[in-house]
Amino acid sequence: MTRTTRPPTIARFKGAGILKGLGVTLKTMRTKKVTYKYPDVPIRMPDRFRGIQYFEPDLCIVCNQCARICPTECITLTGKPNPDPAKKGKVIDTFDINFEICILCDLCTEVCPTEAIVMTNNFELATYSRDDLFKDRDWLYGNNQNIRQDNNNIGAPQRGGAK
Amino acid sequence: MIRTEELLLNVGPQHPSTHGVFRIVVKLDGEIITEATPVMGYLHRGTEKLAENLNFTQIIPYTDRMDYVSAMTNNYVLVHAVEKLMGLEVPERAEFLRLIVMELQRVASHLVWWGTYLLDIGALSPFLYAFNDRERILDLFNELCGARLTYNYMRVGGVKWDAPDGWIDKVKELVRYLYGQLEEYDALVSGNEIFLSRIKGVGAYDAKTAIAYGLSGANLRSTGVKWDLRKNEPYSLYDRFEFDVPVGRNGDCYDRYLIRVEEIRQSLRILEQALEQFPEGGETMGKVPRVIRPPAGEIYVRIESPRGEIGCYIVSKGKAEPYRLKFRRPSFVNLQILPKLLVGESMTNLVTILGGIDIVLGEVDC
Amino acid sequence: MQHYWNSPVTWGHAGIYLLGAIAVLAVVIFFVTYAIYFERKVIGWMQFRQGPNRTGPLGLLQTAADVAKLLMKEDTIPARADRVLFILAPVLAFVPSFLVLAIIPYGLNLQFADLNVGFLYYIALSGVTTIAIVVAGWASNNKYALLGGMRSAAQMISYEVPLVMSVVGVAMMTGSLNLRDIVIGQEGYFWHWNFIPQILGFAVFVIAAVSELNRTPFDLPEAESELVAGYHVEYSGFRFAFFMLSEYVYMYAIACLGTILFLGGWNPPLPQLDFIPGLIWFALKFACIVFFLFWIRATLPRLRVDQLMGLAWKVLLPIAIANIFLTALGIEWFG
Repeated sequence: MTRTTRPPTIARFKGAGILKGLGVTLKTMRTKKVTYKYPDVPIRMPDRFRGIQYFEPDLCIVCNQCARICPTECITLTGKPNPDPAKKGKVIDTFDINFEICILCDLCTEVCPTEAIVMTNNFELATYSRDDLFKDRDWLYGNNQNIRQDNNNIGAPQRGGAK
Repeated sequence: MIRTEELLLNVGPQHPSTHGVFRIVVKLDGEIITEATPVMGYLHRGTEKLAENLNFTQIIPYTDRMDYVSAMTNNYVLVHAVEKLMGLEVPERAEFLRLIVMELQRVASHLVWWGTYLLDIGALSPFLYAFNDRERILDLFNELCGARLTYNYMRVGGVKWDAPDGWIDKVKELVRYLYGQLEEYDALVSGNEIFLSRIKGVGAYDAKTAIAYGLSGANLRSTGVKWDLRKNEPYSLYDRFEFDVPVGRNGDCYDRYLIRVEEIRQSLRILEQALEQFPEGGETMGKVPRVIRPPAGEIYVRIESPRGEIGCYIVSKGKAEPYRLKFRRPSFVNLQILPKLLVGESMTNLVTILGGIDIVLGEVDC
Repeated sequence: MQHYWNSPVTWGHAGIYLLGAIAVLAVVIFFVTYAIYFERKVIGWMQFRQGPNRTGPLGLLQTAADVAKLLMKEDTIPARADRVLFILAPVLAFVPSFLVLAIIPYGLNLQFADLNVGFLYYIALSGVTTIAIVVAGWASNNKYALLGGMRSAAQMISYEVPLVMSVVGVAMMTGSLNLRDIVIGQEGYFWHWNFIPQILGFAVFVIAAVSELNRTPFDLPEAESELVAGYHVEYSGFRFAFFMLSEYVYMYAIACLGTILFLGGWNPPLPQLDFIPGLIWFALKFACIVFFLFWIRATLPRLRVDQLMGLAWKVLLPIAIANIFLTALGIEWFG
């Protein structure tokens, strides 16, 4: 039962600790301030930042992976038959993300085999109405700034681990 | 004839010092508490029940939100349990990355505690000092996994992202910087006579009580019990590194304070060694089946989170979703001693004691 | 303004007094506005922050905007509150805070009322504010407010004793309680100022004064982390503004008092520096005290109630009394 923590240096007289603390705050007064000039100067997030998704309808193969992996079930999508009869498969019809419940966990972009849905570095989602948080396909397609370069979709079928 | 009456005071759920939505109903005789009843559950989201309908990858973001001050350790306890149940190998580089982020997280978590505790006691500035340095850690996490609080970083069998170029050097630099900052923190408050008189001898209990209440983490070690899962049941790579487990003697808030500050220093020591030994190359994801289906069976895994022993109990029936998932949350267990400690204390000590236990309401209510 | 005091009352003199009062009011309001601004700035700088900088150039209009917001806010009175007392309390807190300013001499001839019991007048009136705070705590019908009010009553009564005792030494050295005479008694070099011979008294005065102001580390009545906001938890809008205002006016008054009693008032530190007007010296010393108050607020944690009481009765009071004895001995031996 011995104490192994290091008690702070014993003060020489009553009040020495207080004076030391006052010295620290006085010293800090002259240091550089850390405040961001945020609304005036936008914040640059690192590339891996998980912001609002960008959706590329042409790449989507309607595999439903993103909707299935979503932990909060905020993605809803429907497909339609390919209008070009020469091609097989479906194309995307509607694609909606409900940002009231989306937690930006990155799992949808992780499983997407064609990188149709990718993260961007945009994060400003505040609105005056909840309805505005329901983003549809066109809005997500329009969200094409600051798209993440490296997507690392380790969960996608063609790469991933052993089958 | 003077008639005295007990005052029933509702502290919380909206109160600056309950660190979230937590309520204590206290009976006051003057300013002395005669009875305290904690009321919790305001932040209950039913994570454990929700998890029964989610596969293991989907549960990881939910664990981020339990103890949101220390999400990395929560991530780890889940993936570690699944890996153990499935008998998966994790590549060394991934394990190193996990350990580094967990120790950084411990430092960040203790910094939050340090700042908010001082704020509870009435000092304004330490909070900003602590958050200023925590910010640097969060920025590194942001660079690593793209989020500052809810990382969703670990995966069953490895980690999602490898360290970006230069990241390890940045961590090295940060560790050096934090050593210096610790000295400054000590100068700012650790010797402050007012602060010491506020926490010395407050909220004391002995080792027997602590064990009887199932306390863990700094709350247990403050009574002199040397119990740290990183040492006693080494998981991850902790057996490779040298570090001390600080213990106290009196079991009071002062000892808990010293232990947490010392733990920051020990975490920095671990980080120094881990960064030195960080492997050059290698995979960050092990060989993992496409769909994670643990074999039927059950497992309990526990690790040392900044708040104490966090455990994960999984019952699997061989499906992709757990049959039952249970988290042993240290905040919840540590909180149970609160009513006992509060009786006979003043209103002011309520804040000191509650802060000293170090709870995160997201984890208490889960 | 002293000669008006001795001449008969006329409409003209009354008018001059009224104008003077308005001028002081303006000065004080200006001080409060920018004291709040600088408090936020200084504390910000000490915490790696900028402080207010968005409203107006350099954020200079921040306090004005805050006050405008407070004035336009809905005036709420809790349903079960004691209406009359609830409305009365802010006024009761605010009026004495302004009344005490009457006795403060800023220069040799710059004073409203040259009372022979200047310091006692200050103590007597500032005691009224204690009642206002208890009334506010009681009338709000809120448990936090009640606890804050009770704490405040205990604290302010306890600390008034060492505050008065600490000044007794100064009064003995000057042989007067008249604030102007006390300043005149400190003429000469800066080691003639009272804070050196009265170093014990000065220390007790500073601690007791901070406590009287209810500022960190003695801000227990409003202890944010325990009592949320203490006695003014139910107040909002302009009633809250009045509490806030009286708090800062007291800060102004105490800083003035400290300057006068211990730091030589308007006297320059060296007689050779006499060419700089006394008012500037006064303002400088005053600013140092105010900065000190901001500084400790940014650094120190809060005491506990029992420690607070113990400090007043077990530490400060004996020191203050010892100081009186030592002063008496000093006067006896060294003249």
